[in-house]
Amino acid sequence: MQPNKAAILYPPFTKRISSVWYRHYRVYTKNLISNGLPPFLEPLIFLAGIGLGMSRYISEMGGIPYVTFLATGLPITAAMFTSAFECSYGTFIRLEFDRVYDGMISAPLGVGDIMTGEIIWAGTKGLFFSFAVILVEAAFGLIPLQGLVAPVIGFLTGLMFASISLLITSFVTNINHFNFYFTGFLSPMFFFSGVIFPLENLPPVLRIAAEFFPLTHAVRPVRALILGQFQPVILFDLLMMAIFTVVTAWPGIKRLRKRIIK
Amino acid sequence: MSEPVIIAERVNKCYGPVRAVKDLSFTVPKSVCFGMLGPNGAGKSTMMRMIYGASERDCLPTGKLTVFGFDPQVNPLAIKFLSGVVPQENNLDEELNVEQNLYIFCRFYNIPSKQALGRIDELLHFMELSDKHKARIKELSGGMKRRLIIARALLNNPRLLILDEPTTGLDPQVRHLIWDKLRELKRKGMTILLTTHYMEEAFQICDRIIIMDKGEKHLEGNPHELIREHIEPFVLEVNTPEIFSRISQSLPPELRIDQGGTVVRIFGKDQEILHNVSSRLNPGEYFLRQSNLEDLFLKITGSTLNAAQ
Repeated sequence: MQPNKAAILYPPFTKRISSVWYRHYRVYTKNLISNGLPPFLEPLIFLAGIGLGMSRYISEMGGIPYVTFLATGLPITAAMFTSAFECSYGTFIRLEFDRVYDGMISAPLGVGDIMTGEIIWAGTKGLFFSFAVILVEAAFGLIPLQGLVAPVIGFLTGLMFASISLLITSFVTNINHFNFYFTGFLSPMFFFSGVIFPLENLPPVLRIAAEFFPLTHAVRPVRALILGQFQPVILFDLLMMAIFTVVTAWPGIKRLRKRIIK
Repeated sequence: MSEPVIIAERVNKCYGPVRAVKDLSFTVPKSVCFGMLGPNGAGKSTMMRMIYGASERDCLPTGKLTVFGFDPQVNPLAIKFLSGVVPQENNLDEELNVEQNLYIFCRFYNIPSKQALGRIDELLHFMELSDKHKARIKELSGGMKRRLIIARALLNNPRLLILDEPTTGLDPQVRHLIWDKLRELKRKGMTILLTTHYMEEAFQICDRIIIMDKGEKHLEGNPHELIREHIEPFVLEVNTPEIFSRISQSLPPELRIDQGGTVVRIFGKDQEILHNVSSRLNPGEYFLRQSNLEDLFLKITGSTLNAAQ
């Protein structure tokens, strides 16, 4: 039997992933205030604490005012945490409790489409969250206006941590196991990736270890972009982000396929 | 005669040591309602999932499965674009309302926005949910959720509608409504594949059924013909084995006795003979009736429960 012509018209790859993205967008924007406001409030609280409290004791860090140093790292941790949440707890709930993927899989979507859409959605949230932080910081004059282009790195950070989180999720059978991921992996990175102090003066072992943390490769480019200080190492960072994204997304999607297609 | 919509030849599926589907073969012609019957654990849902690519069949031994000429393992998207699926478990998006749930699926099918809204109106009307456009999923009753999922499966004008236990757990009114809608769709030329363990459902709407047990096909055919060919037309049900023991010594030899559960069933071709037997019992101790698909089903699959049930 000749394959029917109408069947060839199933939506192309870009339409399929954008439809998955659209689903997440609709669900997220359904609660606009409770989802959309905190990303702007969080940096306010943080910077108030640092600006009013800590900067009286530490005025400078890595050759720039401490508030500026922190302000150039915070957009990236915001992007990291939102995308990591989205593709760990969020993905797990859609997979095991809400059965969202079972519904999607009965439409003309493959597991690859669903997970790619998911990663791009998490990237979008990374973009939005880092934009919120940068906007607040620029409004308070903590960073120059050129910083407003930096959320691009927030997007890439979102893609990277979404991919890493999907790989973790593919192994997780009990939702409480994500505690290990957050306290054992993401929190240490928050301290040892150059967000709150520079890596230069760390003991050599930690300095080298920091180069294997994905977050390190996101912090340097965003700081460079905000401060307008281009260094060649940033190209290496972007390459590393791409590598982290691909080498975790690929096996993650492959393993999740086995959990969805039984 | 056009090509069959589904061709399954010696399809197998194992989950570890459990053989969920064993050497299953059948064909579903165009525009018929094809039913798969069997107790829980018979392999019906697994077979359904393999048809739309949500499960993968075993590579060995080599079998064949095509839907519209496509292999679900090779081209699941083409099959799913031409089919609508009503899964066994409701999987509506609880975070979205009725209309949004359908609209998201229109996006999955790449239906243009304007057309999508028209289609949603039309299908909510068809499934008698017109006043529920903006309702939240949590506010819907079980029957409404089921109807909404059927509406969702119909969004892309499918040629094949796949329903896994569409009316399990629903009240009789909703079941009849769903049966009416399925008959209407069949009249319009849609091919329907469903699983059920309601004998009445199969009897009411299926043109062709297979009876499965433990992953294997036991019988196939038109439900009315199957009853005619495989089971005696009348049955005398005796309430308890104790009552039965009073008459068991002197029964005519042509009767078949099934002592599976607490009720003893005496099957016979001649209503008159069964009537004479029953005259030796007190009123209320027996029930004489025509045999039905359920009797056939129990005869084939055994009247005691298996482990999976």
